[in-house]
Amino acid sequence: MSDFHNRSQTSARRSDYVWQYEYYDDEEPVSFEGLKAHRYSIVIGFWVGLAVFVIFMFFVLTLLTKTGAPHQDNPDSAEKRHRPGSCLVDIDGHQDENDKAFSRPLLAGSRSYFNFYINEEDKGHGKQKAEEKRAGKHTGARVEGTFNRNRGVSSSGMDEMEEDIEEAGVHQQLTGLIEQSKTDRECTFLSHFNIPNFVNLDHSSTLGEDDLLYEPSVILERQSKSHDAHFDIH
Amino acid sequence: MNGSILNQSDCPEVVVPNPVFFTIGAVSFAENFLVVVAVIRNRNLHSPMYCFICSLAAFHTIASLTKTLENFMIVFADVGHLNKKGSSETTLDDAIDSLLCMSFLGSFFSILAIAVDRYITIFHALQYHNIMTMQRTGAILGIIWTVCGGLGVLMILFFDFKLIMICFVILFFISLVIICSLYVYMFMLARIHARKIAALPVGGRNNHHQQRWGSNMRGAQTITILFGTLVVCWSPFFFHLVIIMVCPMNPYCECYRSLFQLHVALLTSHALFDPAIYAFRIAELRHTLRKMLLCSDWKLCS
Repeated sequence: MSDFHNRSQTSARRSDYVWQYEYYDDEEPVSFEGLKAHRYSIVIGFWVGLAVFVIFMFFVLTLLTKTGAPHQDNPDSAEKRHRPGSCLVDIDGHQDENDKAFSRPLLAGSRSYFNFYINEEDKGHGKQKAEEKRAGKHTGARVEGTFNRNRGVSSSGMDEMEEDIEEAGVHQQLTGLIEQSKTDRECTFLSHFNIPNFVNLDHSSTLGEDDLLYEPSVILERQSKSHDAHFDIH
Repeated sequence: MNGSILNQSDCPEVVVPNPVFFTIGAVSFAENFLVVVAVIRNRNLHSPMYCFICSLAAFHTIASLTKTLENFMIVFADVGHLNKKGSSETTLDDAIDSLLCMSFLGSFFSILAIAVDRYITIFHALQYHNIMTMQRTGAILGIIWTVCGGLGVLMILFFDFKLIMICFVILFFISLVIICSLYVYMFMLARIHARKIAALPVGGRNNHHQQRWGSNMRGAQTITILFGTLVVCWSPFFFHLVIIMVCPMNPYCECYRSLFQLHVALLTSHALFDPAIYAFRIAELRHTLRKMLLCSDWKLCS
């Protein structure tokens, strides 16, 4: 009963009605006279604020990314070490064992690079099934993440977050002969080949203009060795 | 009151046509139901991470189903088949509202649980399988479902009390802050981890830098999409609740309140986007769905 009294008192202060709900009511009239600003100013202000917040968050994250942007290092072309991290990331050069990147034109090289994505994804599925039977269902999620990672960033457009999370998590664990043997196999393929930058410029072109700005010196270096004519696809 | 009584306010209520609600409801029901079935059928997806995603999809399924049912009821009531003030209709309406409330709360808690699970995966990777066992996952999901069911019933029964709405809004903002900070923290760690890998002395390192930079960029996009969708779909409705409490008589607030149906439509469309953000990004789940949809017999296709 006290609630009823309170409600009627507050509403009596605000209106001539005896009893009404305090919240939104269809019959309750609101005066629209003497409005200084636009009627929908709250609505517009709210949506503008929301848009600014989301865009601001995106720019902050992008800025955090850019502060860790790549810079030029001396390319160590002669040797490749057997490291799981490098093998996993460089796996997209897997196809190059037959291509001999320097000897093929850039266009064909980049086409085979993309073909690799398709092939590797299919291979990944097949391997995944075989490995999962061995690994058992409890590590199923972990192995799946491992194979996502082993596929490089080819499928990462879809589950990048999963990949990053699984990689950060699983990389620290690095147990199991399954993973070691797989990376060892791939590392041997990669051990003889230097991955030239211009093969990856197709990939980096999807990242944005800034990436290409970092690479001009390398491009000029490589151009002296490779076919200049094919570079103008960028 | 100022004394001037208008029969019709200058901000008429914006009406979202019923076919829009029906379409959103049908598509989101189909998507989320498929996700639930796929997770249940595939044994590889019986792990904590996928259980939370399945729970999220289940809540969305219930939400889209009840929203569609409510729209049917509204259509029938408008046509005249149903009595708006009848006791059985109001009881049914209350039941539907509490189910809706439960499923919205549940989807929000599931998103929070997914964020915490991902956080534990990254920051306590070595102990993850001890911390997040299937028993604990089951317990957490049981708690979430019970609490959301109880809260849903409570909120509809005691909707008159401002305290409930205040608690609801505060809960929402706290959860948003937690989710945002968890994901940003995870993103920062992924970036540091990427730098450590890049710092390994390996030939052809420029290759690394390109790809790690690219993956960090995609991480930023993923987080923005995930959190941005959550905020854009949920905050108009909650701002509506705040406006109801703070300024019920203000004409500017009245104009914001006139967009109520639009805000509810946005809230239900969150169920449309969530599978694309969470479930369809998992390759195994996509594979399972493809098998389910394209093959009539499960055993023949595997």
